[in-house]
Amino acid sequence: MLDVEAFSIYIMICVLAPLLGAFTLLFLFVFEKRIDLLEKQKREITLERELQTALYTQLNHEIQPHFFFNTLNSILGLARLDRKAELIHAIESLSKMLKFKYKTNSPYITIEDELAYIQYYLDIQKTRFRDRLHYEVSMDSDSAHAITIPFLIQTLVENAFKHSFEKHVGKAILRIGVTKNQQHVKVTVWNNSHQESDQNSHEGGLGLDNLSKRLKLFFPDSKTSIELNKGFDGTTVLATFPFINQSETQKGETTK
Amino acid sequence: MNKENYQYYISGAFKLGAGFGIVSLLSRWVTGNTILSSPETLIKYGLTGGIGYSLMGAIALMLFGITAKKIRERYPDHQTLGDVLQEKLHPGGYIYMISLLLLLSIHSLFVQAMGAGILIHMIFPIPIYAGMFLFLFFCFLIGGVGGMQSLHKLSGVNITLIFSAVIIIPVYFFMQEGVYPVYDGIKLFHPYILYVKNTETIYFVLTAVLIGLGQVIIDRATWQRAFIIQKEKVRMTFILSGLIWATIPLALSSLLMIIIFGGSYDTIYSLLFELVERIQSTLLIVLFVLFCFSALSSATSAELHATTTLIVKNMLGRFRHLKDKEKLQYSYWIAGIISLFLLISVSLSERQPIELLFYFGNIYAAIITPMLYIILSKKRLATFVPLISLLGAAGGLAMLPILNSLLSIVVSFAISFVLCVLYFLFESIFSKYKVTNLS
Repeated sequence: MLDVEAFSIYIMICVLAPLLGAFTLLFLFVFEKRIDLLEKQKREITLERELQTALYTQLNHEIQPHFFFNTLNSILGLARLDRKAELIHAIESLSKMLKFKYKTNSPYITIEDELAYIQYYLDIQKTRFRDRLHYEVSMDSDSAHAITIPFLIQTLVENAFKHSFEKHVGKAILRIGVTKNQQHVKVTVWNNSHQESDQNSHEGGLGLDNLSKRLKLFFPDSKTSIELNKGFDGTTVLATFPFINQSETQKGETTK
Repeated sequence: MNKENYQYYISGAFKLGAGFGIVSLLSRWVTGNTILSSPETLIKYGLTGGIGYSLMGAIALMLFGITAKKIRERYPDHQTLGDVLQEKLHPGGYIYMISLLLLLSIHSLFVQAMGAGILIHMIFPIPIYAGMFLFLFFCFLIGGVGGMQSLHKLSGVNITLIFSAVIIIPVYFFMQEGVYPVYDGIKLFHPYILYVKNTETIYFVLTAVLIGLGQVIIDRATWQRAFIIQKEKVRMTFILSGLIWATIPLALSSLLMIIIFGGSYDTIYSLLFELVERIQSTLLIVLFVLFCFSALSSATSAELHATTTLIVKNMLGRFRHLKDKEKLQYSYWIAGIISLFLLISVSLSERQPIELLFYFGNIYAAIITPMLYIILSKKRLATFVPLISLLGAAGGLAMLPILNSLLSIVVSFAISFVLCVLYFLFESIFSKYKVTNLS
């Protein structure tokens, strides 16, 4: 049988327990938003840092003299041949591409905008590769306003050029597909390079690692992945991340 | 979100954070059952029973929290338990589950209303039907007409009142009376409460956890809340809700000591309401009455809202496509009809003690494994899976002549668990065999 001391302790626990419960609730009400804000800020800072690294890497990787001079030479060729319409289009694409690249500082971008940027890039590449290059870009209407990290698809497309098309002769076929599957967006970049390519090289690996890290930071509570598959008919990179509509993000930001 | 939108009625306008999520869950789970069952556990199983009852709710909510995260990941577009069942079950199984949910909902509502009836009968010198009418009309306005948004608005006030009462009243009494007289009184009149080496208590806790988990896992209102709490906070919210909830039955058991230490009692179930006669201070009487009213009305409103949603969205919505406006109108009507049914049934029935703690215990224990199977499986399940709960419950009840009620509940759980495992193995082997044959 319980003695009086034990009974007193029992009663003390019974009396104090709801006080503890009420304090916990109060604490949550007062500090929950602050903790959320701190977590969000921390994530944003890390994301910003990663974006800066990505931008730096992008600039280092892309605006290489190699790409730039080849593009300028192609443009010069168009000028010499007096193909004015194509010349204007090429210069316009180069200008828009550079503008986009230097202006992007938001942690996210819509698929639609990212694909518009890629279109400039592909237009420029088309002036270089001419009939050798065939590309298809497909996107289902649901995913147009889905948000993603900037330069996600661009990095995958550039890898295809850098590690496959620029190193091998023959037709250069590129397919970019964006689909919404339940609550996830799947981005597929396929190229027809089936020979031993060096996509696993240090640079390519770094690019994919960086993308994978940035996706995880941007979608911290959901499943994201970047998969590289080499098949007999070509090489595919599949990026998967959760579907979030741009309007939801804007609404969230306005509310905050 | 537009107020005419049915989604607004079901889920409210915004996603809940941890703080508000806990408040919403507590206002659902501090119920008439908590008030009416606490005395039963204390008297039957002593002080350890009181702790066991607290543990039951805490563990049940925590375990559901672990499942809730999976639920949010797997069913991101759903709003109710019925939506998930509709996706995962064939029509036969779905009809069985919905009927079962409806039966349990009505029973649960009846218990809350009966609790309110007993309270009104004991406190107010007005006819029972008039008091019940006011109580149910209030619940109808909040849960039936106002929807989730009204429930959210009121849950903060409810929880404030509940915590104020369970903190202030025991402190006031024990400061006034001291612990010694209470101990002496209990030792004299109810010495059995002070015995802690009671092996049956362990069985009780185990069984109570099973019943609690069964209650939570098929609770329509809890599922609705699991879908509106921010995804990354679901697990934490349920775990903290469990821990905070556990403090309330503990406080109630200390209140009960105050009531019973002076002598004997008439009925177990209305014991807590007798506190009104013990309290001298008018302010504390008002606080206690408000506490009872908050607990009963918030749980009844939440249950009424969830049951209405279940009927309109997952029953009527299956037969024909309804526009949002029609759904809202049906919801008001159905909530009104349920409230009227409760008013008539409680006013007519005698306010006799009802077996609460283990009522439907076999069903609750037997439904855990099939529900987990439904939640976690990736494909649509055969009608047999939900029916396992019926087999488990029947098996447990059939053992009642040989075993006591606690063990029969464990048997119900064991039967359904074994049947689910066997079905899973059979299904895995059979599907492999089918694939091999096809290829």
